[in-house]
Amino acid sequence: MTTTAAMAGERKPRSRTATRLADAVSRWAFMAPAAIILAAMLAYPIFYTIEISFSRFDLMTFSAVEWVGWQNYAHVLDDYRFWSSMKVTLVYLVFALPLQIVLGFGIAFLINAEWRGRGLVRALFIIPMVVAPVVAGGIWRMILDPLWGIVNWLIGLAGFAPLDWFGDPTLAMAAIVIIDTWRWTPFVVLIATAALLALPRDIFEAAEIDGANWWSMLWSITLPLLVPIIAATFVVRWLGAVKMFDIALAATYGGPGGATNVINLFIYEEAFRSLHFAESAAMAVVVLVLTMVLTGIFLYGTRKLEERN
Amino acid sequence: MSATAVLQAPLRRKSRLGGRVRIAAGLVACLIFLFPVFWMVLSSFKDQRDIFTVPPTLFFTPTLETYFGFMQRADITRRLINTIIVATGSGLLSIAAGAMAGYALARIRLKGAGTIGVLILLSRGVPPIALAVPMFLVARSLGVTDKHITLILAYCTFLIPYVMWLMRGFFLALPRELEESAMIDGCSRFGAFFKIILPISLPGLLSTLIFSMILAWEELLFALVLTNRYASTIPVAIAGIAGDTVNGANWGALTAVGTITVVPVVIFALLVQKWLIQGLADGATKG
Repeated sequence: MTTTAAMAGERKPRSRTATRLADAVSRWAFMAPAAIILAAMLAYPIFYTIEISFSRFDLMTFSAVEWVGWQNYAHVLDDYRFWSSMKVTLVYLVFALPLQIVLGFGIAFLINAEWRGRGLVRALFIIPMVVAPVVAGGIWRMILDPLWGIVNWLIGLAGFAPLDWFGDPTLAMAAIVIIDTWRWTPFVVLIATAALLALPRDIFEAAEIDGANWWSMLWSITLPLLVPIIAATFVVRWLGAVKMFDIALAATYGGPGGATNVINLFIYEEAFRSLHFAESAAMAVVVLVLTMVLTGIFLYGTRKLEERN
Repeated sequence: MSATAVLQAPLRRKSRLGGRVRIAAGLVACLIFLFPVFWMVLSSFKDQRDIFTVPPTLFFTPTLETYFGFMQRADITRRLINTIIVATGSGLLSIAAGAMAGYALARIRLKGAGTIGVLILLSRGVPPIALAVPMFLVARSLGVTDKHITLILAYCTFLIPYVMWLMRGFFLALPRELEESAMIDGCSRFGAFFKIILPISLPGLLSTLIFSMILAWEELLFALVLTNRYASTIPVAIAGIAGDTVNGANWGALTAVGTITVVPVVIFALLVQKWLIQGLADGATKG
């Protein structure tokens, strides 16, 4: 307390401009550390990526040497592998995100039944959520192994032919979606349980008295109330899913034949294996712009949904 | 009767059987989600013969062979220490910078704070690969690749925005009178923040810190790009084992190292599960 009192005392004799300056400094001082780190590590690299994407990259000096305009972009947009990676990423997003949201809210509804073990079950759902994605990819590769994996053994027990999970393009994509869903559904479950617990009780009681059945209550009360949180969960999952890299790298490494080569993995390979830094930078910029625009739209959408309620 | 009762009230009226079915289904779902982790831990105690069998074995003589064998070969211990250093360093740095910035966004009127807020939110959508290429080139020309500090700063790019946003929501929920009265009593802005606000925000800070450390612990892309030997982390080792097509599937190594990676985090997460769940819920709703 003494030090702060001293600091306040010091301020008095100063002129008004000095006080105002000190005030502004103390305001911005809170923002400064984060702003400096983010400017150096986030903003600067983005600008550097943009610069490289418009340059010829010299591997001798390891730097961007000459301005080439849109040439790198033209190369990239001409590359069928880029488009196939974008398509793979889109397929993954379109299947994985809705699946995770629906499963997550469904399971949350199931485990929210009132019984003694509820807290324990909810806590257990934390476990898959903190398994590193790269570990998740690795262990599922073992579990789904065509020859020795336990899933194919179970499929065999049920009387079906074993599935070649990592040899067939469609199945490999299914595997990626399954692994990602396994890793991320618990996250949705935990958010959804909290959301369900926070629903106002009296509306349901009133509806029940009015003779509403289970289905119409779900459809016309629960879901509308949950829409903002579902939208928010979707945005959070979207922000994670567009960064999809670890699981694909560990489970399939983009294979077979690029069937699971999500865009981040493709850019990584192009940059650090093939050393095509300029083209990778151009692709990174394309992905960056697309993600920013879509994220902006989704955020705007959630705001609107929140305001409506 | 808790608030969930609303959802099961109609079910209860129908029959108690409905509730039982629901609980059973929930339990089955939980077990399915836990199984891969259980299977990984179990397999890590098998020797090669027991791993490669059909049908898969549930009962076997447990062995620590893979643990001892693998820990010596791929200097997993050093990677573990690296991962701990980097996770702790980036966690602490981002919580310090992020909490202050979050406070500034929530309480201090700054010109352009709204714009900064939107930028931070958008920055959570920046694909790390767009940062990895320039970071690698810059780090290479500065000669700071394969150093802990490089990785720590790189992790701040996704941790600080996350912490900032979470703590902003947390601070917004605190009553304004707290600092106002402190500042009337002669506290400076810093004094009010460090003496009044931080102590009552400790639970939120701690859960955010833990979550940030877990995120750093698991990170793969930056670690792959910015380190090679000296400062390399555990996820890089796992990616190496999983992607090792020359020696085939070394599942013993994979499960053992996987278990080493996952078990401490699980214990940590379960210890603070209450805060963690709260933090998650806040992160989604306020984020």
